[in-house]
Amino acid sequence: MLRNFTRKALASLAITGAALTATMSPALAEYPEKPVTMVIPLGAGGSHDLNARIITSIIPSYLGQAMIVRLTPGAGGQKGTQEVANSAADGYTLLFTHNYIDMLQQYVENLPYQPLEDFVPVARVNYAPASIIVRADSPFQTFEELVAFAKENPGELQLGHSGNWGAFFVPAAQIMKKLDFVMNMVPYQGGGPAMQALLAGDSDMSLAFPSALGELVEAGKIRVLATAGEERIFEDVPSFTEVGIDGDIGFMHRFVLAPAGTPQEALDELEAAFAQMSEDETFKKLMDRLGESVDPMTGAEYQALREGQAVAYDELVKDLTSQ
Amino acid sequence: MIEQFTQGFAMAMRLDTMAMVSVGLFAGMLVGSLPGFTTLMAMAILLPISFFLDPIVGIPFLLGIYKGGIFGGSVPAILISMPGTGAAVATSRDGYKLTQKGQSRKALDMALYSSAFGDTCSDIFTIVMMFPIAYLVMQFGPPELFAVLLMSLVIIAATSAANPLKSLIMMMLGLWLSFIGTDPLGGVERFTFGLFDLKSGIPLLPMLIGVFALPEVANVVIKNEKSRQLAALVGERLTRVEFRRCLPTICRSTVIGTGIGIVPGLGQIVAAMMGYSAAKNASKHPETFGEGEIEGVAAAEAANNAVNGPTMVPLLTLGIPGDNVTAILLGAFVAQGLRPGPQLFEEQGATVFAILVAMVIANLLFVAIGYLSIPFFARLVTIKTSILIPLVIMFAFAGTYVFRSDSTDLLILVAFGIFGIIAKAARFDVMPMVMGFILGPSMEYAFGQTVAMSSGNPLGFFLSERTGALVVLLVTPIIGFILWRRLYGRPLPT
Repeated sequence: MLRNFTRKALASLAITGAALTATMSPALAEYPEKPVTMVIPLGAGGSHDLNARIITSIIPSYLGQAMIVRLTPGAGGQKGTQEVANSAADGYTLLFTHNYIDMLQQYVENLPYQPLEDFVPVARVNYAPASIIVRADSPFQTFEELVAFAKENPGELQLGHSGNWGAFFVPAAQIMKKLDFVMNMVPYQGGGPAMQALLAGDSDMSLAFPSALGELVEAGKIRVLATAGEERIFEDVPSFTEVGIDGDIGFMHRFVLAPAGTPQEALDELEAAFAQMSEDETFKKLMDRLGESVDPMTGAEYQALREGQAVAYDELVKDLTSQ
Repeated sequence: MIEQFTQGFAMAMRLDTMAMVSVGLFAGMLVGSLPGFTTLMAMAILLPISFFLDPIVGIPFLLGIYKGGIFGGSVPAILISMPGTGAAVATSRDGYKLTQKGQSRKALDMALYSSAFGDTCSDIFTIVMMFPIAYLVMQFGPPELFAVLLMSLVIIAATSAANPLKSLIMMMLGLWLSFIGTDPLGGVERFTFGLFDLKSGIPLLPMLIGVFALPEVANVVIKNEKSRQLAALVGERLTRVEFRRCLPTICRSTVIGTGIGIVPGLGQIVAAMMGYSAAKNASKHPETFGEGEIEGVAAAEAANNAVNGPTMVPLLTLGIPGDNVTAILLGAFVAQGLRPGPQLFEEQGATVFAILVAMVIANLLFVAIGYLSIPFFARLVTIKTSILIPLVIMFAFAGTYVFRSDSTDLLILVAFGIFGIIAKAARFDVMPMVMGFILGPSMEYAFGQTVAMSSGNPLGFFLSERTGALVVLLVTPIIGFILWRRLYGRPLPT
């Protein structure tokens, strides 16, 4: 009796199992069939985290699946990046990162992965242009005055930035290299403390993203001397191009990478979802409130930028470390 | 100003605000009490909810999570000697000893009341003194931070329970452990032996659980305490007399915590330790500290909560987030169209005051919610030892793993567990090691910044531009020596 029951149970189990696989196998082809994890190689509360919270609350309606944020900070972004590099290339694990972690670190340290070979870009979400700022009571009215003083007094001005090889350190070093002047660079633990050091008078110059600037400029606490890019962001402030700094300098791109070898169908799905999300009105509104732009780029477009960054950063690091 | 305040006060008196604050407090308490889950994570995940709520509802909701989380962290610290964050380390010292004595309920009550008291006082102080605090914050740069951190370490070493030489040895060990990994300034790898897993340094959580919780588990198992009558050990509630006895300590810790909150970069961990050390120093019977002294719990909890008020000041007055918690709050503010900064008070004064008043209300609600939930938490220790111990071990390992899903962390946990057992047997106090480990990186960073700022001439820099920091550095050894003499230089009463 009991044996009979067991046999029946086993048989029915086998049938259900077969039926399940039968129904599931066509579905396998249709990516995505389960939630997608987006790894951020940075800590909680940073701008990537905040951006990702908005992305993950909007994108499910275009992707058809939930997107989960996983924060894996450590080793200057390498921990999270390595985690994605080692994960299965099935389109269910993505990396949300920025260009300095992505392209610069390979020239500074030995990495357990090869950024250009191990990853393919999915989409760029937006970018943040860095501005050069001084305190409102600073004697420097224009960027040229600052550079002229720095050229005459090398190393005397203090430049506070958000951490070595970070989003403000790199543009500052690129600018100094381009215009041939030297400032004393002091690292702070993030953009907030760097801004505080500028306001407190510990540093003479700093850099900041627009999302951190608005109120302080309006209140007359700081003055912006130049902003990254070709076009002006503030009407009366020159752009980097106007003051002689051209090229991809001063931009922090926020973008999504997938492990190399991810199936093309999955990449297409993801790219389409990110493109549709960028058109979403709620998404635009929430990003605008954070002070962030929405400037989508396809994976292929961004790949071209990556390759350019690779060359520029290689030169920069060689230049800085050879001194 | 006054008008804005009264307007804000009226705006904060909303039922939905109170309801969401309560939800936040409860969620925070729950998340905070689970080792491995951080309040920060809970805030980041629940942040989008606040986007779609009214500012006077959404932001207090996040603040509720934060406040609830700090108290939540002290629950496992008291009950099973498992501090999930650095801020709960000082609490677990006497809190767990009280649990062992069968007074866990008293310890939890004290943690709740002193937390709420410290928080409320510091919030009110912050509302009143907003702009003077904003000015003071600006006076602290990397050199000052370095000096204050060094002084904190000296005070911790001098007042720790074991003999000061052992404390110093353990602190040096902690500092050395904090060097492992990538150097925060130059990016050079140190003591990693080429292992990628060590590149990001030793994580704090496995160390905390390893050195504090596992030795206690081993202790119970080795002593075979199954005969212990655990069922009756929840103990009495805290009496009014006991609270009144601790009131001077709570007030002192509140002042210390508020002061430490003003210095950017110090935070709850230093506050809790300083509050604890000060209470021990002022006590007529310092030898009871570390052996289950209710004042110890009060001192640590009041101090680490009193930090909360002033840390909001740079965010509100300048729009500068000093740490990750305030960075998330900044996100919540701007998503509501409130841009923190110098003009926030002129343009949105009433709303800001409403949020600040809601912070104070959150503290009062917190007492009520805590009072009702403590009996449930406290009952945890009435579980039979044969079940509780495996549960604790499970929490230790699951909590460590869930923190960042890295199996290396489990090895680190076991290594520190074994280390903790040996240290306990050899009568070495692990607290100075943990403090050295936690404060080491900040101190190193501040030192590196100071050297960078001085263009390679730190001595001249201190003498000419940073006399305040220099004074702190000079009095540090004197304070250390005086504390040590007071606590250990005299024969203890027998």
